[in-house]
Amino acid sequence: MATNISFILNGDEISYEVKDHWTLSHLLREEMGLIGTKEGCGNGECGACTVIVDKLAVNSCLYLAIEVEGKIVETIEGLASTSGALHPIQQSFVKNGGIQCGFCSPGMIMSSKALLDKNPDANHEEIKHALAGNICRCTGYVQILESVEAVKNMGGQNE
Amino acid sequence: MSDYAIIGKRMPRVDSRAKVMGKAKFTADLKLPGMLVGKIKRSPYAHARILNIDTSKAEALPGVKSVVTGKDTEGVKWGVFAYTRDQEFIQTQKVRYIGDEVAGVAAVDEETALKALDLIEVTYEELPAVFDSMEAMASETELIHGDFPNNINVHVNIDTGNVDENFKKAHYIREDTFVAPEESYFQAEPYAIVARFDHEDCLEIWCPNGGPHMKSKPLSNAFKIPLHKVKVRKIAIGGAFGGRSEICPVDYICALLAKKTKKPVRIQFTREENTIATRQGHAMITTHKTGVDKDGRVLARETTCYMDGGAYSSTGPIATSVPFLSMEQAYRMGSVRYNGYRIYTNKPIRGMIRTHGRGFAAGLDTQLDMIAEHIGIDPVEIRLRNSRQPGEYTSTKSYVDSCAMDETIHKAVEKSRFKEKWGKLPPLHGIGIGTNSVQTGFPMGIRGGSQSFIKFNEDGEATVMSGVVDNGQGNDNMLVQIAAEELGLLPEDIHLVSADTETTSSDPGSYSQVSTFVGGHAVKIAAQNCRAKLFKVASKVLKVSPDKLVAQNRLIFVRDDPEKSIPIKKVVRISLLNFNSVNAEGGYWPKVDMKREWVKNPYGQMCEAFSFGTTIVEVKVDPNTGQVEVLEATAAQDVGYALNPLVLEGQFEGSIAMGGQGGMLTEYHEWNGGRCINPTMLDYKLPLACDMPPKINNIIVESVDPKGPYGAKEAGMSIAMSAAQAYSAAVSNAIGVYMDSFPLTPDKILAAIKSKES
Repeated sequence: MATNISFILNGDEISYEVKDHWTLSHLLREEMGLIGTKEGCGNGECGACTVIVDKLAVNSCLYLAIEVEGKIVETIEGLASTSGALHPIQQSFVKNGGIQCGFCSPGMIMSSKALLDKNPDANHEEIKHALAGNICRCTGYVQILESVEAVKNMGGQNE
Repeated sequence: MSDYAIIGKRMPRVDSRAKVMGKAKFTADLKLPGMLVGKIKRSPYAHARILNIDTSKAEALPGVKSVVTGKDTEGVKWGVFAYTRDQEFIQTQKVRYIGDEVAGVAAVDEETALKALDLIEVTYEELPAVFDSMEAMASETELIHGDFPNNINVHVNIDTGNVDENFKKAHYIREDTFVAPEESYFQAEPYAIVARFDHEDCLEIWCPNGGPHMKSKPLSNAFKIPLHKVKVRKIAIGGAFGGRSEICPVDYICALLAKKTKKPVRIQFTREENTIATRQGHAMITTHKTGVDKDGRVLARETTCYMDGGAYSSTGPIATSVPFLSMEQAYRMGSVRYNGYRIYTNKPIRGMIRTHGRGFAAGLDTQLDMIAEHIGIDPVEIRLRNSRQPGEYTSTKSYVDSCAMDETIHKAVEKSRFKEKWGKLPPLHGIGIGTNSVQTGFPMGIRGGSQSFIKFNEDGEATVMSGVVDNGQGNDNMLVQIAAEELGLLPEDIHLVSADTETTSSDPGSYSQVSTFVGGHAVKIAAQNCRAKLFKVASKVLKVSPDKLVAQNRLIFVRDDPEKSIPIKKVVRISLLNFNSVNAEGGYWPKVDMKREWVKNPYGQMCEAFSFGTTIVEVKVDPNTGQVEVLEATAAQDVGYALNPLVLEGQFEGSIAMGGQGGMLTEYHEWNGGRCINPTMLDYKLPLACDMPPKINNIIVESVDPKGPYGAKEAGMSIAMSAAQAYSAAVSNAIGVYMDSFPLTPDKILAAIKSKES
């Protein structure tokens, strides 16, 4: 079974014929080549595949592709400007050591963006809560939390 | 030491921009034209004889391009050492754990490959299985490997002599046993492989690896092709923690499928496969018997450890030794006898892990705390009386040059206010200390050194070639920092070509904290050699001798007259016009004792430098739930010299997370008849952001090692280990019971509190 769906992906209107059993992560990674969204478990456990659908951070490995019909989808590829200027959250992760191996980073950054879009003044506890679904095995989270907190002081400017 | 331009600075990593943009490519992100999907048929039995494998139905399925079994492997076996080659790449006779490889399939898509797996019919004769190292040694049923009596895979015996005599002289002797079950790596990236044979019949392969050159040699052996025909490529790697150190049988199977189909093949492990079929940490039962004098100085120690090694040897001899070595480096032992046994069981294969020997080390430290209490001194004092000092030899005869163990203890104690808190905390609050040491590498024979090549391009930028691999810890940045510092360039002027076996020289790999000390050192020497060529040309232009020149910020200038300068780019061009290219090589081989061998001769110089670390943790235990709340963690490590404090602090904090928070409170595997019942991240409890201590104090101690590059040794591993010890000590202190079974899960803590009350 295949269905034609229309949705907004990183600001662009997209029309795509998807098989009904495809997950959103499969559509993004395997069909559209957007490999920035990582798959660490395929079961909604690790958060590496986090994308934003209608302002909500979701595990794209658990989200059926046909469900994004009419919705707005944001992935890590949509954050930097077309000229390559990094989004403030990305800048902050670079500056504050919020990445090590980098596998969890796209998901971590998308979860952070969903939070800060809704609540730009999120406090430490709110940030920890928002990132509770994203597993990082390298950093011990300290520099990740510092990266997200530091965004508040950056004035929301791309580099 | 502070006049470095780039070394020692808090520099954001060169690889971070690609990673935050999602542009860094990991193995599963690769898509090659015509690529097939590979899947592995695994054993459902823990121990069984293979009677027959029928692949005909699978092969007949439309879309299936190849099915391989043990018949296709020509009987090649894997083992890290010649004397441990006990694992066929695909089993032909027996399966030895639930998950053992019995066949591989390549098909046009994942659905077809999975259907084909179901169509492969394997007939087994089930055999009695053993899942516990003590039972395995006593078992009278069929041995897991016929040529290893009592299922003992490895026995390491170390004896300094005088142990029994010194016990007789001891003022106080204790013997205690400590246990810890298996733990796993849970790298963020599940294992994946892409392999193809190119137009010249070269095998090209991408996979997470702890050292590309350690993958290429076994693959060249297995396929009986020259080493230059195996091209292990560089790829982003999502964490290793010791779990990517060796070749994985599926590397071979993927390459075999690519060979048979003449197409690229990609195999992606599921999360469960990553847990079951890569490596795990060993379960260990460790008995420490320690005798001290009246001041608490250790006179004699006897340690016996039984390690559950799982179905195959893996890094067995190394794994059986390292928990002991870490302790003999950290502490003076007077005299010591060590017997380490690695036992085969019908469980997944065990290898080295970042927190290797958590129960071994936490047990030794717990016993020190018990002894301290008995003789009436505090945990800090007993450590200071037994801590390793510079200029000493370890029990196995390694000379310890730089060593600031005591400084890490003093600084961590001061920062955590240990002395003020010890014995004065409210009920169910506790504080604990752990100290540890790790090595920077070990004797690896002809593969123990690293060599780097550097070439200047005509635009004044440089290409640096090194075999060092980056598993995520920041090795690429480390190499770039060193090259930029020595060449007088900016980090963005350095183009790094690394971890590719076609273009880079052999390197020991990212094992045993060796990358900076050996690989980084090689880049430093190559860059210095290259700079000498630049200075030779520049000295003629500037009319001063080369030893008066400095290279910095893309310029070469006179040290005492900085206005007198010339751009490096111009120097390169002048050199080219004078018929000389600007390039150089440099290598570093640590002066270790090549006669040292894990089993046959475990004595002699192990490596050139050791790091030393102290962690102190303060906790609060909830007596109703058994939950531990960590209030503060303090980590102090003698890193030699901090090349990049930003990266180093990340290593410290990650070490607290994996070694302490996860390693001592929540992480362990559970089993049912040899089947791991918590292979996923939902069931195996990894620390989350909300679990971490609210405060981690990082203390960098610099002993400036005389042999390390800029004095650097290694970053973070001594913390991962000492964190485990500190967490266990703090919980024991909080509840007033010395814990001997790790990790310290709520059920064990509640039982301990209850037993104390009754």
